[in-house]
Amino acid sequence: MSLDNVDVFLRTVRDDLGLDLPDPSGADTALVDLPGWDSLNLLRLVALLEESGHRVPVHRLLEAQSLRDIHTLVKEYRR
Amino acid sequence: MSATAAERGTVYLAATGTALPGAPVDNTALAALLGISEEWIDLFVGTKTRHFGWDPATGEVRGTLADLCTEAAAQAMDGCGFGPADIEFLILATATPDTLLPTTAGEVADRLGLGHLPVFQIQAGCSGAIQAIDLGRTLVRGGHRAGLVVGGDVTHRFLSATPEAARMPREELVNYVLFGDGAGAAVLTDEPEGERVAVRAVLNSWTGQGRPPGQLLDWYGTTDRDSGRPMLAEDYKAIEEHVPTITAEILWELLGGLGWDLDDIGFLLPPQLSERMTARIVEGLPATSAREVSCVSETGNTGNALPFHQLDRLLPDFTPGSRALALCVESSRWFRAGLALEKV
Repeated sequence: MSLDNVDVFLRTVRDDLGLDLPDPSGADTALVDLPGWDSLNLLRLVALLEESGHRVPVHRLLEAQSLRDIHTLVKEYRR
Repeated sequence: MSATAAERGTVYLAATGTALPGAPVDNTALAALLGISEEWIDLFVGTKTRHFGWDPATGEVRGTLADLCTEAAAQAMDGCGFGPADIEFLILATATPDTLLPTTAGEVADRLGLGHLPVFQIQAGCSGAIQAIDLGRTLVRGGHRAGLVVGGDVTHRFLSATPEAARMPREELVNYVLFGDGAGAAVLTDEPEGERVAVRAVLNSWTGQGRPPGQLLDWYGTTDRDSGRPMLAEDYKAIEEHVPTITAEILWELLGGLGWDLDDIGFLLPPQLSERMTARIVEGLPATSAREVSCVSETGNTGNALPFHQLDRLLPDFTPGSRALALCVESSRWFRAGLALEKV
C-alpha cells in the first residue's frame, strides 16, 4: 500500500523502524519526544522512503517537527 | 655532553609509515553501496572518503591486514634507513586480525624478514596504537635499541557487501558509515634518530569499571555460526556523550603530568571518530592556538591505524622544539590514551 496514506506511513514507521509510537497521537507528537527517534532512525527512514519511491532531501526532513510533517514531505516528493 | 637521567630514559619516534588499500571510496559510492542517503552521510558523518581492502560490490577480499601492516611497517623502516637487523621487537595492535592463529604480527614479521625477536599482538581498538607505543617504550627502556609498533584494522568480516540498511539495527548501521581499512607504523628508538621525536609521556589507562561497552565486535565459531547475535554494535549515544569530556580530561592529565602549559602545544592530534564527531570534540576542548592534525575525513575511522596516520601528517611540520599531544579514547571498554611528543 502507498505511503501516501498516513496510516500506512505510520504503520511502516512503527513496524520497519521499530519505533514505539504513541497511539493515536503518533503523527503529531514532536519528533524530539518520540522514544528512539534520532539521526540514525532518520537515516533508516530515508532508506525506507527511497525503497517506496519517495526521494525526500534530508535537509527538508530536518525541518519537520513531527511525523505528520514528514508525511507531508513524503507526498510532495513522490516519484 | 652527558645525557641527563631523564634523557637516558627517553624513547624516540624515528619514522612513521602508513598504508590504505585501493582507491578512496567517496560518499556517493558508499551511499550507492548501502542504499542510503549521501546527503545524510555528508551532514551527520562528514567523512569524505574511506578505503576498503575488499570489493564493495562482491565482498571479495583483495588485501589482508597483513598486507597493509607490512606495507606501513616497511615504509617506516625505510623512512629511517633501518633494515631487518636493526629491528629488535615488533608489536602489532588490531581488533581485526586475519586469523586468530597464527597472529598477524608473526605474519608481518616474516614478510619483513625479521627473526629471533619478541613479537607481540595486542587486541585493541582506537587506543591500540598508544598501547603498542607504551609497551614498545618499556621494551626500549629494558634494553632493546629499536623496534616496530604497528596498528591496523580491516572491515571485510564485519561490513556486508549487500546490507539492508533500512532494516538494520541502528547500533550496527552506524559502523557502515564510520569505518574503513588501513594500517600505520612507527619505529621506536633509544636515541634520537630519523625524525627525532621524543616521547615525553604516554597515557594508557583502562577506566571501564562497571561501564557497559561503547563498541562491540564479536565473532562466530563452529558452534554458533548460525547465531543471530550482532557481530558489531556501537553505542553511539554513549560515545557522543562521554568522549568529548574524556578527551579534555586526557589533555589535562598529559599536560599536568609534564608540567606543560596548553600554550606550549603546537599541534593537537584529537580522537578520529568521524569528521563531524572529531570537530565536536575539538570544539569542546579549551581554546588553543595548537594546529589540529586529523586524517579521518580522508581515511575514515581505521581504528588501530589512526594515530600513526596523524603522526605521519604531523612530522613534515614538526620543527625542533615543537610539542604535540595525541589524544585517544577507546570506547569498547573506555580506555584513555594519549601521547606527549617533542621534536628534539
